Amino acid sequence: MTAKKEYKSLGKRHKIIDGPEKLSGSAQYTGDMRLPGMLYGRPVLSPYAHAKITCIDRTAAMAVPGVVAVLTAADLPTKDRPVNSRGSAVLAHDVVLFRGHPVVVVVATSEAAAKDGADAVLIDYEPLPVVADMESATLPSAPVIWPNGLPKDGMDLTAAHAAVDKGADEGHREPSNLHEETKFNRGDVDAAIKNADIVITRRYTTPIVHQGYLEPHAVVADPHMMRGELTVYTSTQGQFGVRDEIARLLSMPKSKVRVVPMVVGGAFGAKYGILDPLVAAVAWAVRRPVKMVLTRSEDFLSTTPTPATIIDLTIAAKKDGTLLALDAVATLDNGVFPFTIGGILGILLGGYYKCDNVRILCREVLTHKPQGGAYRAPGAPSATFAIESSIDELAIQLGRDPLELRMQIGVDEGDRMGNGDKWPNIGLKACLMAVQNHEMWKTRTTEANTGWGLAVGGWPCGMSPAASVCRVDSDGAVRIHVGSVDISGVNSSLVLVAAEILDISPDRIQLIQGDTLTGQRAGPSGGSQTTYSVSGAVAAAATAVRTKLLETAADHFEASPADLELVNGVVSVKGFPDKAMEIGAIAELAENKSGGNGPIVGEGTSAVSENAPGFVAHLAKVHVDPDTGHVTPLRYLAVQDVGFALNPMLVEGQIHGGVAQGLGWALHEAMIYDEYGQLLTASFMDYDLPGFEVMPDIDVVLVENKSPFGPFGARGIGEPPITAGAAAVANAVRNAVGARVTDLPLRAERVWRALHDSK
Amino acid sequence: MIPAAFEYVKASSVAQAIALLNQHGEDAKVIAGGHSLLPAMKLRLSQPAVLIDIAAVAELKGIKINGGTLTIGAGETYHAIATSSTVKNACPVIAACTGQIGDIQVRNAGTIGGALAHADPAADLTAVFLAIGGTVTVQNAGGTRTIAADDMFVSMLMTSLESGELITAVNVPVMSKGQGASYAKLKHPASRYAIVGVAASVTVANGVVSACRVAVTGAGPQAVRQPSVEKALMGTAGDAAAIKAACASAGADMEYLGDIHASEDYRRAMVKVYAARALTDAIAAARA
Repeated sequence: MTAKKEYKSLGKRHKIIDGPEKLSGSAQYTGDMRLPGMLYGRPVLSPYAHAKITCIDRTAAMAVPGVVAVLTAADLPTKDRPVNSRGSAVLAHDVVLFRGHPVVVVVATSEAAAKDGADAVLIDYEPLPVVADMESATLPSAPVIWPNGLPKDGMDLTAAHAAVDKGADEGHREPSNLHEETKFNRGDVDAAIKNADIVITRRYTTPIVHQGYLEPHAVVADPHMMRGELTVYTSTQGQFGVRDEIARLLSMPKSKVRVVPMVVGGAFGAKYGILDPLVAAVAWAVRRPVKMVLTRSEDFLSTTPTPATIIDLTIAAKKDGTLLALDAVATLDNGVFPFTIGGILGILLGGYYKCDNVRILCREVLTHKPQGGAYRAPGAPSATFAIESSIDELAIQLGRDPLELRMQIGVDEGDRMGNGDKWPNIGLKACLMAVQNHEMWKTRTTEANTGWGLAVGGWPCGMSPAASVCRVDSDGAVRIHVGSVDISGVNSSLVLVAAEILDISPDRIQLIQGDTLTGQRAGPSGGSQTTYSVSGAVAAAATAVRTKLLETAADHFEASPADLELVNGVVSVKGFPDKAMEIGAIAELAENKSGGNGPIVGEGTSAVSENAPGFVAHLAKVHVDPDTGHVTPLRYLAVQDVGFALNPMLVEGQIHGGVAQGLGWALHEAMIYDEYGQLLTASFMDYDLPGFEVMPDIDVVLVENKSPFGPFGARGIGEPPITAGAAAVANAVRNAVGARVTDLPLRAERVWRALHDSK
Repeated sequence: MIPAAFEYVKASSVAQAIALLNQHGEDAKVIAGGHSLLPAMKLRLSQPAVLIDIAAVAELKGIKINGGTLTIGAGETYHAIATSSTVKNACPVIAACTGQIGDIQVRNAGTIGGALAHADPAADLTAVFLAIGGTVTVQNAGGTRTIAADDMFVSMLMTSLESGELITAVNVPVMSKGQGASYAKLKHPASRYAIVGVAASVTVANGVVSACRVAVTGAGPQAVRQPSVEKALMGTAGDAAAIKAACASAGADMEYLGDIHASEDYRRAMVKVYAARALTDAIAAARA
């Protein structure tokens, strides 16, 4: 890690800037907002997964004291918009399409009155046939959810993920609940399987998992009727996309919609604009500010959890471990509107190991459930669970060390992903080697009913163009303006970039997060792309400011800029310590001087051209209670190729969080629907989100295999740490008690049954 | 998550709380910790017109020993009980049980009287109360009476409390030498209620089990004793083989619930596993 010595701020551990505010509860979230004249909205959600709305009686609700309006789809400015996505399904028109589909919004002068009003709305439904199961959804006997095709005129706000080719659809087909198929083919899979020494076929299933953010969806919309403008305050990952979607659905010019991203209490892929168009439309209809904060149950019922998957996977290998073929069919439960992540799932499923013969079919199926959505590395935990369980099984059946087998067949730069594209520089094997050299691997021992599980995981990581403005003010502060949203601590890394270039303490840098009106363009905070994409813009803006500082000081000292140096926030003429000025003084000079550069402001843009995939290798130690099947994680090692850790403390924090969520996939989380499309896990009393008390100690090792493209060699780091947890735990359970569990989560009863079945 | 409107009265004595109960009848609910009632109210499954808050009633507090009986005021919180040295010495299983309920917020609010009166099918204390035996003291406008543990739980969420009656105290025997009790629990992963909880209380005299009570909670609609297990263990040495043999019939004669978190099959199997664990620990404690 010689690189770190070159830097004063970068690569060092710096605490998160807004940590104290969040810890002390003083951070202001959307739900804390109160605007003058503000009203409160409460949605009435469909109790059915599929039904015709035959009557809505508002009389009793309107009679509730404090109720101002009871609104249906027909009362909103969105009424003529086709409904083809979760965001556009603001309120149900005539038919409800999933349990939790909002039907009515009651607006009142208090939260309590809005709730009383919502309870008093009478809605008659005529239940219709429900397509609840993704496997039977594609049978000829299943009712077709969209017999005339999905209504056109849509956009998918959640498409901001990995920058990779997601594969092609097969073109026109008959109406079916099989919305889309993605196929990746290379080589001759059937022949390769015939020639193989060993063939392993397994069916893996992963459930619908909710993002489980602490802060439910919350929006305040403030219309200015005179100006024809609308300001929306929201918990979002990307204000620009939300603005565009609100403008589209409300038929307003984008320039009249301002979206202000607030402090976010967790998002993980779910906050790209689910509730925003509804609250915007309601506020516009009642011509007053309206706040809506979902309850936990409303959030579970009406947002966009990540799709369930069924992955039928066959791998075929030679005795020496060479992987000859990979053959997979993955079925994904999109919910009622398309959310197609089969492409990326297939890319990863067929992308971790060298293999010449690959056949992957991903089937995107529609059901009467809420539309699926992004959740941290969408598709990757499912794909990784499948392939890493099967590779583990291959190692067992070949009698090979699981790490050594992966070193033999794992991908390197230039090897192919599932879709045939070549991997750029990646650190999969560097991560494996770091595991191999770690004390936990070298000294691993197994006591009765304990076991170790290894799994790798990867994520392509996204990128998008970004801009930034940097200024130095006469108060001596450096201010950085960005339009990116901080959902994961990125601001606490971006300031280090500017601090490094301007050679000042990061404490003197203020990061200002703009809205759609005041902020520079940035992509949404998803796809592990924010630091990767925005750092370059911040660096360019800071560099422009540095140049201006030197030029202005050079002019003042009547020296050449080349003879000046900027050290610890002071510009001086080299060799003349008395010829020195604080950058704040230079700013003051520039603000008052006629001629010259003018105030010290610089702008920067960046548009990274290549993504920098991030790989991990995770090692889990578990104990399995043979009587109950209960799995307890005991130790955990998370190794990740981060390229270059701009702020190692935050990178480790991201990894801790990703590991925790990976353990949620492994052992805890599942949204369960019955055959009527009713959600049985609509609260934290039923949805098992893991808490601190079930987390093992996590050892983090950062591998710094520099990315050729990212800022200072950094890679996207947010998503990779969630990918491998489920597989690592399942492999550890197999190692501990011999049971191969292929369905997530590995809850006690499931493991107990596997133990009984294997006896 | 806002309850329907209700009137709130803070009672300062048991007599006042009972008078209010009689005055408002079915419209009123007594609230102590509120951890079962408030969620139901927030979901509007329960919409009482009047809440009678007994959390600050001094008569319902107090933990004391009279002769061979430990008396715990119905308004004592789980936390107060779990950390009481009196309880830890006199009847450690109650301290251990209350110390693992929910989380610290729950334990600071929830009360022993509330838990027994509510009789949640997955509550922990119901099984412990059945296993160690004892009584609850209840009071109404006419006076007081006691209800024995075995007569307390009638059916799902139903006890033998009459309307207008309030539990004022819980009375359990002080454990003496040769006695031991334990509670073993398979936690619901999300709610931390019992999917299966088994409480066992035993007396070992001259090397053999001379008294034994075992009760199961969580697995079925109400907490129930396990007479066949108790009978099978009596007179044995209480060793591993005897426990295993006795637990073969655990959960055989009871109703079960099954849901997405644990099937009936799994609960049946776990009743045997946890009965054995509870008995093993209880016998070890009796021998200590």
